[in-house]
Amino acid sequence: MKGIIFNLLEEAVSGTYGDATWDRLLDAAGLEGAYTSLGSYDDGEIAALVRVASAALGMPADEVLRWFGRQAMPLLARRYPAFFANHANARGFLLTLNSIIHAEVRKLYPGAQTPVFDFDTGQADVLRIGYNSPRRLCVLAEGFMHGAAGHFGEQIEVEQTECMHHGDARCVFHVRFLSR
Amino acid sequence: MNVPDQAGAGAEIVRLERRLRREVAARHEAEAIAERGLRDLFQRQQEIALLESIAVAANETDDVNDAMARALESVCRYTHWPLGHVWLVSVKSGMTRFDATGIWYDEATLRDDADPVRTLRTRTEAESYAAGVGMPGAVVRRGAPVWIEVAATAAAEVPRLQLSVDAGFASLFAFPVMIASEVVAVLEFFSREQMVPEDPLLRLMAQIGTQLGRVVERRRAQDKLLHDALHDPLTQLGNCKLFLDRLTHLLQRAQRGADDHFAVLFVDLDRFKSINDGLGHQAGDQLIIATARRLSACLRQNDLVVRDRTLAREHLVARLGGDEFVILLDQLEAAESAIVVAERLMGVLAEPFDVGDQRVFVTASVGIALSASGYADVEDIVRDADIAMYHAKQTGRARWVMFDQTMQQAAVRRLRLEADLHDALARGQFFLHFQPIVAPGDGCVLGFEALLRWRHPVHGIVSPVEFIPVVEETGMIEPIGAWVLDTACRQLREWQHVYGMDLSMSVNVSAVQFAGSGLVDVVKRVLAETAIAPSSLKLELTESAVMADAEHALAVFAELKALGVRVSLDDFGTGYSSLSYLRRLPIDTLKIDRSFVSKLDCFDDKRQIVEVVLMLARALGLDVVAEGVETEAELRLLRDMGCDLVQGYYYFRPLTPADAAQVLAAQAIAMC
Repeated sequence: MKGIIFNLLEEAVSGTYGDATWDRLLDAAGLEGAYTSLGSYDDGEIAALVRVASAALGMPADEVLRWFGRQAMPLLARRYPAFFANHANARGFLLTLNSIIHAEVRKLYPGAQTPVFDFDTGQADVLRIGYNSPRRLCVLAEGFMHGAAGHFGEQIEVEQTECMHHGDARCVFHVRFLSR
Repeated sequence: MNVPDQAGAGAEIVRLERRLRREVAARHEAEAIAERGLRDLFQRQQEIALLESIAVAANETDDVNDAMARALESVCRYTHWPLGHVWLVSVKSGMTRFDATGIWYDEATLRDDADPVRTLRTRTEAESYAAGVGMPGAVVRRGAPVWIEVAATAAAEVPRLQLSVDAGFASLFAFPVMIASEVVAVLEFFSREQMVPEDPLLRLMAQIGTQLGRVVERRRAQDKLLHDALHDPLTQLGNCKLFLDRLTHLLQRAQRGADDHFAVLFVDLDRFKSINDGLGHQAGDQLIIATARRLSACLRQNDLVVRDRTLAREHLVARLGGDEFVILLDQLEAAESAIVVAERLMGVLAEPFDVGDQRVFVTASVGIALSASGYADVEDIVRDADIAMYHAKQTGRARWVMFDQTMQQAAVRRLRLEADLHDALARGQFFLHFQPIVAPGDGCVLGFEALLRWRHPVHGIVSPVEFIPVVEETGMIEPIGAWVLDTACRQLREWQHVYGMDLSMSVNVSAVQFAGSGLVDVVKRVLAETAIAPSSLKLELTESAVMADAEHALAVFAELKALGVRVSLDDFGTGYSSLSYLRRLPIDTLKIDRSFVSKLDCFDDKRQIVEVVLMLARALGLDVVAEGVETEAELRLLRDMGCDLVQGYYYFRPLTPADAAQVLAAQAIAMC
């Protein structure tokens, strides 16, 4: 897992619950916690942080990831405004997820494993997004989608029709754009 | 040890927090610097990889479409643009045209019909723009890249804007592919992002445009080489090779049992050589070019051949060289269609040509060969069309002739004749007969007409009607004509020596010989060698040979007259004679054609014609010889009308030298 994700999580937690909470989560998870955006860290560390956060905040682990995804989007936008500047709406932004993630991750970390999104634009009001990643962090992805909608001042409804956790080959979301 | 008080500890925490924030800020900045460096490095590597892949594509293929397709894919992968397309730019008759190609890069390999991207693609391919419309037009006008942000552009400016919006695209880009300053293609891309290309991308695309331009340039050079190898440089029509290639293709198709027929038309301008000689090569070239244009235009309009325009027609006009054109008519419904086309072609060529400041009238002879005859070889069908064209020439020019098998047999016979004639002179197969020319009053032989005969070693005597034209066309007439003149004059010298100096010898001069430049010299030489009196030699020229180029005739006649030779106009009345030339030409004798003499006593009009000719001759001070006198009645009439001389079967058939000598001997005894 890339350091940027840990940095974003730290910012999200510190921003909502205060610096001390982040320190406590690190202690509880038994992690050193020196993350730089340029580094790569064991996937187990993020899992551990989610687990202790779930316990500390009294939230299911999936809910923690969803919350994090939603919170991370404005933070990302502040850090990398260029990714968002070229889009007028969430739909357009979501359609370029692959190019942002793949290109950016590869730029910084050659050979990195990245999730693969696929899109079905056949319907005007619903965007079907497929998600495929060995990390199976579909809930995080869903949180990112909501966060992206929030960034563009939009509301979306997300329905997940397929999930890797339930034996499907990939996860599929039906994203309905409610308003602008 | 100091125990920090409450306030001191608070200040320390604030200080440490500030320090922590500084550290975090420094870390973020360090990360940002590192990321920027990594991004730039990555960018540079990607650019290099992109240019490399384009260069490889450009070098590996000569196929422009292939190079374009590979370039589109490389650029799209580099930029993450989901859709790219190529317009090919061509300039036709001063108009720039943009042709949408089927060359695309599309991130999705399958799109169903309702997909708006599918719609955009389909509609794009259906379009071709005249200059200046939309993005491709703007690129060509400026010779520079153009981009559009969909949201900020009015739909009227860009034909496919709404389609692009529907397909979810936010920006459109178009880049030129250039050869020097000429835009030869436009690469267009569709992006979901609203963006303006930055300088590095523009530099990159300019390099790519130049690379691809080289592929186009190379292809053009190759196409030109290929075109030149298959086309006639003067007229830009196909050449013989292209014609035979196409013909081979059609012949193979016909042999596979296809039911569609084709025809080969062999077109040759009549008397092109005299136009070329008379007006100069440049004028001749202009005439050929104009002819090529008319033929092509005529075939293009020709909707009579195939009414169903959906059928692929492959009409082709090619120039074989000189004034010879061949035409391939494909998808022929019936033989009549080929004739209709031939007549139309002859019609368009019959219109006057303005060559330089001259108005030139041209006719054409057309030979037609049909594929229905079941040819196995392309050479055969062309040869047969050529033979048919030759027949058209032989039968009076300005006409079409459809090939049939007897022509082929005649042609073969002619070829054999030609080969056999080739060494007939050297082998002494030629000899002369002499037909006496007689005074009708007393039946006295005053001279002879020398007649060429050929004894073929196998076929025996061959008719002059058959072999003389071959001798004329192959140019063998020059040496053979000289031999005739020489032999006839030697014979005359011998007879004059024995039977008296009054005898004259008439020798026919062929039109070909007359048109050439050697006649006067040959006559001079023969006169010098035989030492006969020049006035005892009569050169017989046909009316048509003289009138073909009357000015030339005047000049040659003047030289001959200067030598003291006499000149006689043969076949008088059968051609088109200009009376004013007749007056100016220094002719001594008119020979009335046998067609007027034959059955003279039975037809009033013939008699009247002969009377007029005699009157005319007397007025101009000319002798008259009537040819082909066969009956006493004819002879009596001619004598009564005052005809000076006659020749014909009534008195004598053409005689061998020995028989002629006997006649002379008998006459000498009678006169004694």
